[in-house]
Amino acid sequence: MNSSVIWAVVIGMAVVNFAIRFPSIAILSRTELPAWAKRWLSYIPVSAMATLVVGGVVRPDGRWLGPLENPYLWAAAVTGVVYWRLRSFLGATVVGVICFLAFTALLG
Amino acid sequence: MLCYHRRMPEEMRKQDTCPSQRARFVRGLKLGLPIFLGYAPIGAAFGIVARGLGFTPLQAAVCSGTALAGAGQLIALQLLGAGAGVAAVVFTTAIVNLRYILFGAALSQHVTGMPLLRQAFLAYTLTDETFAVNIDDSRRETASFASMAGVGVIAWAGWVLGTTVGALAAGAIGDPTRFGVQFAMPAMFTALLVAQAEDRTHVLTAVVAAIFAIGLMLILPDPWYLIVAPILAATVATVVHR
Repeated sequence: MNSSVIWAVVIGMAVVNFAIRFPSIAILSRTELPAWAKRWLSYIPVSAMATLVVGGVVRPDGRWLGPLENPYLWAAAVTGVVYWRLRSFLGATVVGVICFLAFTALLG
Repeated sequence: MLCYHRRMPEEMRKQDTCPSQRARFVRGLKLGLPIFLGYAPIGAAFGIVARGLGFTPLQAAVCSGTALAGAGQLIALQLLGAGAGVAAVVFTTAIVNLRYILFGAALSQHVTGMPLLRQAFLAYTLTDETFAVNIDDSRRETASFASMAGVGVIAWAGWVLGTTVGALAAGAIGDPTRFGVQFAMPAMFTALLVAQAEDRTHVLTAVVAAIFAIGLMLILPDPWYLIVAPILAATVATVVHR
């Protein structure tokens, strides 16, 4: 692939990503928001994580997988339980990846 | 020096009323260590695929170091591989990452009064994982700029280091999926989801978001569900819990 095309993509992505991330932090931290807006924002982290989990688990790589052919789903269930019991981010992630490899082998 | 700690458990307060900037930064590095370990292999996978498409190791590393956009970067490679033009690639990654507007908005409520340059640094290192870890830490009122910067720095290092190693050693590593790399992100998301589900209201909000996500994946073109589902779920939660 043409090197200048790659550099254009790299620079474009850098600019766009910062332009997306920065303004809302800068502006809203200097604005007094009404109570309902603060409450609304407080629900964003849990909603966003749930959305990311669903996207990554029920349709990995853009392909819908049923429960019996889906190692992602079962590995995520184990990961969630491990985090819930141990409160260890690292432990849950490592156990999750190991379970994923095991379930992948099991479910073919 | 301003101490950000407003409320701490009695036990902690006795030991340390206001740790040094350095201690907080190091605490952030430790909080973010799992992100480092999760990002490094995915970064390596990005580096390997990027090399395959004709990126030099330098281009792959600069891309990771400046965009820090996980899924966005991998999708960009897919599109480049499929022959898409520069504008289309950049536009698609922007849509994949639109959720960071929401994340920035949520984070803004925890960084009021922080100087603009510091906020710019946190924005630069804002990812799904750094966001969730920092929000969780802020809710316990133990977060500060130094700790958030620590989380950001170590996450950035994992992503860039992984990319560099992947791009340089693409041939030696081979197919990264045999190490289960493709589950590293979902695993981190799952742990961070459970971390956010602190009470019944939040658990129910997560369930609502999951239902919206599945529904929207069926009816909207990708990746719009990533931003629309959280907006709808947070709105439902706000209206119901008035």
